[in-house]
Amino acid sequence: MKLPPLNALIGGGLIGTLVIVASIGALWTPYDPLRLSFRYKLAPPSPMYWLGTDEFGRDVLSRLMAGAATSVWISILTVTLAVVLGTLIGVFSGYVRGWVDRVIMAFNDALLAFPGILLALGLLAVVGANKYGIILALGIAYTPSVARVVRGTVLSLREKEFISASRVMGNSEAFTMARHILPNCIAPLTVLATSMFGYVLLAESALSFLGLGVPPPAPTWGNMLAGSRPYIGQAVWLGIFPGLCISLTLLGINLLGDAVRDKLDPRMRGTR
Amino acid sequence: MLRFALTRVAMALPTLLIVAVSVFVLIRLIPGDPASLMLGDLATPASIADLRARLGLDQSLFVQFGIWFGNLLKGDLGISINTQEPILPLILSRFWISAQIVLIAVFCASLVAVPAGVIAAWKQDSGLDLGLVTVATLLLSIPTFWLGLLLLLFFGLKLGWLPVVGYVSIGDDPWRGVLYLVMPILTLFLHEIGVLLRMARASTLEVLRLDYVTHARAKGLSEMAVLWRHAFKNAFGPTWTLIGLVLGNLLGGIAVVETVFTIPGLGRLLVDAIFARDYPVIQGCMLFVAFTYVLVNVVIDLCYPIFDPRVTAE
Amino acid sequence: MNRLLASACLLPLLAGPVLAQSLTVAVQADVRSINPGVNRDDGTDDFALQMVEGLVGYDEGGTPQPLLAEKVALSADGKTYTFTLRKGVKFHNGAELSSADVLWSWNRYMDAKTEWRCTSDFDGRSGLKVESVEAPDAQTIVMKLDKPNALFLDSLARTDCAMTAILHKDSVKPDGTFDKPIGTGPYKFGEWKRSEYFTMTAFEGYASPKTDGKADGYVGSKRPLLKEVKFLVVKDPATVKAGLTSGALDLSEILPSDVAEIRKLPTLEVVTAATAVRQVLLIQTRDAVMGNQKLRQAIAAALDMDEVVAAASDNLGQTNTSPIHPGSSYFGAVEKQGHKFDPARAKKLLAEAGYKGEKVVILANKRPRVPSFPAAVVVQSMLQAAGINADIEVLDWATQLDRYNKGNYQMQSFSFSARFDPALAFEQFAGPKDKQPRKVWDNPQAQEKIERLMSLSDRAERQKLVDELHKAVIDEVPLIFMFNGVDAIAHSKRITGFKPWQSKLRMWEVTAAK
Repeated sequence: MKLPPLNALIGGGLIGTLVIVASIGALWTPYDPLRLSFRYKLAPPSPMYWLGTDEFGRDVLSRLMAGAATSVWISILTVTLAVVLGTLIGVFSGYVRGWVDRVIMAFNDALLAFPGILLALGLLAVVGANKYGIILALGIAYTPSVARVVRGTVLSLREKEFISASRVMGNSEAFTMARHILPNCIAPLTVLATSMFGYVLLAESALSFLGLGVPPPAPTWGNMLAGSRPYIGQAVWLGIFPGLCISLTLLGINLLGDAVRDKLDPRMRGTR
Repeated sequence: MLRFALTRVAMALPTLLIVAVSVFVLIRLIPGDPASLMLGDLATPASIADLRARLGLDQSLFVQFGIWFGNLLKGDLGISINTQEPILPLILSRFWISAQIVLIAVFCASLVAVPAGVIAAWKQDSGLDLGLVTVATLLLSIPTFWLGLLLLLFFGLKLGWLPVVGYVSIGDDPWRGVLYLVMPILTLFLHEIGVLLRMARASTLEVLRLDYVTHARAKGLSEMAVLWRHAFKNAFGPTWTLIGLVLGNLLGGIAVVETVFTIPGLGRLLVDAIFARDYPVIQGCMLFVAFTYVLVNVVIDLCYPIFDPRVTAE
Repeated sequence: MNRLLASACLLPLLAGPVLAQSLTVAVQADVRSINPGVNRDDGTDDFALQMVEGLVGYDEGGTPQPLLAEKVALSADGKTYTFTLRKGVKFHNGAELSSADVLWSWNRYMDAKTEWRCTSDFDGRSGLKVESVEAPDAQTIVMKLDKPNALFLDSLARTDCAMTAILHKDSVKPDGTFDKPIGTGPYKFGEWKRSEYFTMTAFEGYASPKTDGKADGYVGSKRPLLKEVKFLVVKDPATVKAGLTSGALDLSEILPSDVAEIRKLPTLEVVTAATAVRQVLLIQTRDAVMGNQKLRQAIAAALDMDEVVAAASDNLGQTNTSPIHPGSSYFGAVEKQGHKFDPARAKKLLAEAGYKGEKVVILANKRPRVPSFPAAVVVQSMLQAAGINADIEVLDWATQLDRYNKGNYQMQSFSFSARFDPALAFEQFAGPKDKQPRKVWDNPQAQEKIERLMSLSDRAERQKLVDELHKAVIDEVPLIFMFNGVDAIAHSKRITGFKPWQSKLRMWEVTAAK
């Protein structure tokens, strides 16, 4: 048995830690993450508050732990929504080509040309500014990018020998699509999905920064990061810790994503 | 080739129509009203009704759309509710500012990120690869409003090299104009490196596994030659698509950077208009962004066969 | 050597006015227009009122006083106002002010085409009607009302009406469109680069109402001592802070949360002052849950207001649970008595109200310079501590304002703009909800008292009405006043004479060393 590659080890470690922290955070935190304490406003990290307190005297560590579960859950659902929808549209459109493709792409481009912020504002107003509103808004906003990238991959794959071969062998279109084209989309999709995971964690903080703030009642890393900005001079820990959490999660997801892709990629089977 | 280009442009028209209609409807679905925003908390219902009538907002949606669309066909985007400025010249002047930032940042970022991505893929799973991926991920995960502020505090305050607030157009004073653009470009540049490096790495990895690369290696070509002649050129295709996506998205997403560095660009115009519910400006900006986006992607599609000879332009 | 140094230092001081300096001031938003009182917001008014003046203007306490008028006489029947103009007042183009200019300006404002914000406040549509305006001689203007109105001068002085400023007719182009403000103010219009900056320069021919160097609202000593002032639009408060620190900005409003940090910097000074803006918790009395007066009283008793104010204003604000702002002469002993923090009473009231944990949603927005969100966070936590199931929903400002205008909410963390006269301060939130859903306090008896307050001019009787109304608001709790707005302005130490007042950056009597 060979040792797994470095990226799988580090990525797996980071994501494992995240899952454990998020699970603990959902059940228990050192302090109540919503409890205010005016005596300890903007307190630096200390034995009492390991990661300091925020502008309302709330414990940063507790908020990070509680936020982990919310943030991760929002990101996973959003990315899943975008990837599933986008792949269906992209594969279909890229494979059938012709006027169907053109019509789909016209809608896709229209959606893609919408700046995410307007789409988010519009959908949030309709769905309501809560967790599911964010998921739906960002999920729909990211769908067209997935569709476009998948379609691009499908377009270039169509010309390859093994696809023609599959057709010559008399396989149905649907079978060819599922058996040969879809697996080949996994590589670019993994990259896109892992980047998207990061975008989702950050999109919320960008919305918050621009004044759109759509925070769910519980803290999330994104809105903690955005909220920390005015205090960069007095309480740098407010931004560093959520920022670090986002960075490490992203790194973990990316490395793990690479490792998973290597495993799943059909042409890599048996080479390792 | 020309026929393909024309078809693509013709295809863009329905896209733009879809954008026009959906923006028009969407912004009116969002609660909030430009007249009551302009009058504030002191407004009486009578004064709001007066202003709405003056702005033509009391008419039915169909009539409003008809008027706007009719003017649009004549090339007139109308005037801003808030500032009474004609919208098309406003958008063009703002776009020029945003475009120089975005184009320079993405161009420089691809110069750095694409070769770096190829190298990371070539040395897959090595310490170098891990290092490059880590750097890219970190760059990706710092929000631009944080990164921008850090640069501002460092270059603007600590070192005092660059101006902290304000904006001078390059047309008015080339040297000072450039100084004001350095930090916003640098912010976007660093962020985009993260995005593009990862994409280039992934595309190259794909190609390096293909049979013809193995063949090329078997033929005894040097690694450098394999990398350049086969891997790099083929990996560029998907990356090129992504650059198109990035350019399109950035025009909408640059608002954050423009807010941090007080740059009067298109992104800020749009975000301000959204908050002020300045309907004609939102419609104009959105349509313009969609138009640019479609244009960029037509160009990208036209260039695709150059990078990937197997895809022919229909 | 020392003497040489000393005289070198003295030299610029002696030559003060000749070597007047220019300043760069950051503002959070661009002006809407340069047409006074037409397309405007608070920032637009601020800029306009450096350049133009009206017959009367507010003094420091918000009482209208003669400005371009030397004196104002009221007839015995309370319907005829006679304004005598000050002599020697010049417009920016050198022309001398006469009653003809007042007539021309008034007629322009009353013309619907001008789209003046306050036309409906003077033509009878909102109660007050000016029946005639005449100019018997070059220094006299006579305005006749249809019936006595205690608020006429206050309405003329309103800043959102741009003080009903007197403009020279050359402000308007021959084709009737507005060109630029040619007024009588201490500063002249410079240039305006949309969404980037706007500037004004000193008006050398300015005739200051007083020259004792004491700023007093929009009256008092108003000498322009700066050569030029450039207002730079900077949206992001963090960028403002960096600009002040680097010296690129000379003066700006800052966030309350930055006050302590900036006070430590050697080059900067911070000044703060309370304004007449009121931070409030609106309550929708027609809501199924909030309609219960006992519950509303319980909420008021559950709030440790001093803590709320300290947290939401970063220890800069003062608790004030009255609709009347503390700078007003009507703010007396009665107005100081308000809601009291009393957890035991809150508990008792909550039980009497029969409250069973129904959800109470507080709407808030996250505009950086408005304490809506921080106030909501603290209130939510205190209500939860008292056993009230409070939640916060964050909206963008346009959406929140829309919900306010439609009356569609349970509670809102909201700000009321400055209203100086007590009648207007009450009128702002009191009225029939059926006709105006935005109104918060729907009480016919109170309405009657407010109407009386509007037409009465007897000081003692007005105070009595104000006291009664204040007590009623505290008892019924249709809304909870928390604290007044706080202006926090940071400026370079080279600046002297700047006084913050009602969020207006008055640049007269301000000087700057090199």
